[in-house]
Amino acid sequence: MTVRELLEKIKQKAEIEDSKEDLGVLNAYVKPSSLRSLLIYMRDSLGFDWMSFMTALDMPQENTIEAVYELFSNSSKDSARIKVKLSRQAAEVETVSDIYRTAEWHEREAAEMFGITFKNHPHPENLILTPDIKAPLRKDFSGGDMKRMPE
Amino acid sequence: MEQKTAFEIQELTSDEYVLSMGPQHPATHGVLRILLRMDGEVVVNLQPDPGYIHSSIEKICENRKYDQVMPYTDRMDYLSAVSYNLAYALAVEKLMGLEVPNRGRHIRVILAEMNRIMSHLLWFAAYGIDMGALTPIWYAFRERENLITLIEMQTGNRLTHHALRIGGVKNDLPTGFVEGLNKFLENFNDMVDEYEALFIDNVIFKARTKSIGVLKKENAISYGVTGPNLRASGCDIDLRKLAPYSGYENFSFEVCSEKNGDSWDRCKIRMNEMRQSASILRQAIDTLPEGEISAKAPKIIKPTPGGCYAKVEGPRGEVGAYVVSAGTDKPYRVKFRSPSFSNLSALNEMCAGVKIADLVAIMGSLDIVIPEIDR
Amino acid sequence: MENGEEMELIRELLYNSGEPLSEFYRWLHKAWAGFSVPPVFLDLMIQFAVAAAVFGFVAVNALWIIYYERKFSAKLQIRIGPNRVGPLGLLQTVADTVKLLIKEDINPSKVDRVVFILAPGIVFLGTFLTMLVIPFGNGLIAADLSIGILYILAVSGLAVIGLLAGGWASNNKYSLMGGMRSAAQIVAYEIPVLVVILGIVMLAGTMKMGGIVEAQAGYRWFVIYQPIAFLIFLIAANAEINRAPFDLPEAESELVSGFITEYSGMKFAFFFLAEYTNLFIVSAVAVTLFLGGWEGPFFPPFVWFIIKTYAVVTVLMWMRWTFPRIRVDHLMQFSWKYLLPIALVNLLVTAIVIKFI
Repeated sequence: MTVRELLEKIKQKAEIEDSKEDLGVLNAYVKPSSLRSLLIYMRDSLGFDWMSFMTALDMPQENTIEAVYELFSNSSKDSARIKVKLSRQAAEVETVSDIYRTAEWHEREAAEMFGITFKNHPHPENLILTPDIKAPLRKDFSGGDMKRMPE
Repeated sequence: MEQKTAFEIQELTSDEYVLSMGPQHPATHGVLRILLRMDGEVVVNLQPDPGYIHSSIEKICENRKYDQVMPYTDRMDYLSAVSYNLAYALAVEKLMGLEVPNRGRHIRVILAEMNRIMSHLLWFAAYGIDMGALTPIWYAFRERENLITLIEMQTGNRLTHHALRIGGVKNDLPTGFVEGLNKFLENFNDMVDEYEALFIDNVIFKARTKSIGVLKKENAISYGVTGPNLRASGCDIDLRKLAPYSGYENFSFEVCSEKNGDSWDRCKIRMNEMRQSASILRQAIDTLPEGEISAKAPKIIKPTPGGCYAKVEGPRGEVGAYVVSAGTDKPYRVKFRSPSFSNLSALNEMCAGVKIADLVAIMGSLDIVIPEIDR
Repeated sequence: MENGEEMELIRELLYNSGEPLSEFYRWLHKAWAGFSVPPVFLDLMIQFAVAAAVFGFVAVNALWIIYYERKFSAKLQIRIGPNRVGPLGLLQTVADTVKLLIKEDINPSKVDRVVFILAPGIVFLGTFLTMLVIPFGNGLIAADLSIGILYILAVSGLAVIGLLAGGWASNNKYSLMGGMRSAAQIVAYEIPVLVVILGIVMLAGTMKMGGIVEAQAGYRWFVIYQPIAFLIFLIAANAEINRAPFDLPEAESELVSGFITEYSGMKFAFFFLAEYTNLFIVSAVAVTLFLGGWEGPFFPPFVWFIIKTYAVVTVLMWMRWTFPRIRVDHLMQFSWKYLLPIALVNLLVTAIVIKFI
């Protein structure tokens, strides 16, 4: 499946805000509301049975946080990168941990690292960090005693 | 600071109690804590609690230049440093459109497969300790020592070798390396057979691992379990075959897979993989091409803006690096996908109703490395 | 007594003609009559001397057996083993013991103090008392009780109280699990041992340790008549002294160290001492019951006894350093489902054969 074909297929199922091809991989920005239905469709009908990881990108200049879902199909060897744009002030998105179980831990990590809230997450507590550190992977993070390392 | 707990005390029935296994426990292979809800010797439920050695590598990477990131990638999976090196290098090279010369790719394969054998040997050693057999560790370390000596010849380091550079490898193979590797490979298969007979085929060992910790295929896929753990569940997915990188398509080897998905199958697969890796090493030595070992990479690496996810088959599964470039000399974001992270998240699925001794056997058979989970 | 007579006595002690110990005892009493002190003090002194001798043997033997195990396991594991302290590392265990002795005696704040301190003593006591009836040579036995073997079974059962008490008093979940495991394990494995020993007692016609050895005189060792019983005894006894592959109560990778998790210093040393003495005792009992005790050509009986005992010790060590640990429910099943029925059948067959042949 080429990137164009894939885009055509998922366009019918979800509201795609924007899309681009990045080194042969589809990057599709979907509306947060249609993320879950799109992932279910991709898993069940397009053979994307595999979620490699879920993470986030902080874009302060656009005032957004992108949630990134990297999907892979073991049968057709296709990759797809689904992204959701969230506002930095109120980053909130539905959990997909019941669609891909691996997302449960990845979402917990993204939640504590970027300050995203995943609605309906089964274990919303922190996974790796202690609760007193808030969103360290955001670009404007400055922990109390964090210093820049000499280069 | 509030304590993370998986279970409320009120939830417990009068037969049950909470056992905090770790962060300092001999069987957790590092600093991992597992909260167990126990009924006598039986595990009712469990909740892993990683994060004790979180080292913030992803944040550090954002503040380093592209080539300066490489040494940090060693530190995640310190048992097979080359797999993270390789994933990161592949991602950056793809962003830059850099082509690695044949000899460089070959040396990468040799190093990666040596790392795989080293890592599996260490797993074998540690699993022996987990199961209460105290002798296998010495045999495995004897073999591993030979490989480490060779790697030290090549890179100057024993564990976190920082062997790869963006565009190729640091050093060419030194004189005596190929002979040394040949000598090691000569009787390596016999050694693996012997260890298998001594330990993996032992009656007590079989009784403790067969049909223990069964992970079903669909669960394994949903949890993102990779590597030998996935292949034990009857899914012969190996990225070296499925999406070849670094010239793996030129080597012939078998993807080892088993059907039952229990602890014993996972062990069996690792033993078989060592044999396959030895076979790849033999081929790699025989077909070692002449030429450059490294492409000409610019002094200051500034890839075009964009993101790239490169993945390799590490000893524990899919090792991936998602590098996002903003067109500057530093990566905008680096995300490392670590196989142990996903593998450990499936632990609860395998452990319902097992004994605490089984829990140790299952965790050992998953072959987790803690720094890679915490990153 | 003249010098020559002393030599004669020592020779008799070693070469088992008559009852040298009691003769020695009579001679002491005769000498004591010269002083105007009641003979009861002499008896007390003799008893203390015997106790001290046994304790000395236990301590020195444990030192040596630990060194032996470390060297033996090193050979199996392509290592060298201790080789720094003293010639060939012989003083390594001495150094370790001194370290344990001068360590701070830590009582964690949450432990049940009295029981916590008593537990190692109880464990050691059970082991120590067993030593009394081990026949090192003909007549070379601290007390040849008429119920010798029964006494061993009874006294070695004391240890489980200590283990359980130690596990309970430590106030640690791992310790408690270790204590519970050891109790379950020792109860389960004592029964096959008992049944197997019954067969031997039927063959020998006595429960006296010396009598059992004498019944095997002329190289009619019971291992020839009771090979299955010998195997069952080795396995079950190995399980009873909590050594790998049956080291569940202190399973390192599961329970950290089981019942000894909270112990350190001298209290830990007592557990350790008891463990290695138990290893010796189990082997000594196996030699007595199955391998003809002190019997053997050329060497004095005492030497033969030690040689045979250490041979059995070596086999047990070999087992320990080869096998992975067995799981707790498999352990129980193995005892109740396999060892006990086989032992019972063995006993029945032995009884029938003795009755009709």
